[in-house]
Amino acid sequence: MSDVQETIRQQIASHPVVLYMKGTPQFPMCGFSATVVHILDLCGVKDYLAVNVLEDESIRQGIKEYSNWPTIPQLYINGEFIGGCDITRELYQSGELQKLLQEAGVVAN
Amino acid sequence: MNPTEKTQAIRERLTAVLSPYRLQIEDQSHLHAGHNPAAQHGGTHYAVTIVSDQFAGKRSIERHRMVYDALGSLMNSIHALAITAKTPDEP
Repeated sequence: MSDVQETIRQQIASHPVVLYMKGTPQFPMCGFSATVVHILDLCGVKDYLAVNVLEDESIRQGIKEYSNWPTIPQLYINGEFIGGCDITRELYQSGELQKLLQEAGVVAN
Repeated sequence: MNPTEKTQAIRERLTAVLSPYRLQIEDQSHLHAGHNPAAQHGGTHYAVTIVSDQFAGKRSIERHRMVYDALGSLMNSIHALAITAKTPDEP
């Protein structure tokens, strides 16, 4: 396993919620990343690891290989790849995302 | 590949692999030209609505993967792809 893949694996293993995005939660650089940040806000997730892929080209490519998913943003909860913007929105609208976040212990029941 | 050819290539690959009942491909690049100069000429940002039997019994994440897999190397030149993937029975 390459160093980048190992870095990613550790990031995902050591944080219940990880968002790989363009920009930061305060200053998203892409509308799709901004949408996922907004949804996490709406769910009341206070603390998550946001990785700005624009700051590290190796992570930007590496995360696509890690998940075998070609686009960013990418959301992980409890070590599991959840999806990008469209799927996160769908899961939020159906209430499943809130359930996953509760199970991960990052929002109150 | 110009934007028109790329849209056609997307249509061909999705049609060949997923045999859709309905397939709508919208080049939305112009909406993103403000923050992404590469989007000015089209061919970077797409929205796809696809209805196929092959999505039956599959979760969203699997459906999206099927679309990405069908597009294969085309994804390398697509910056963003919004996907709506449904079966004929779903509203």
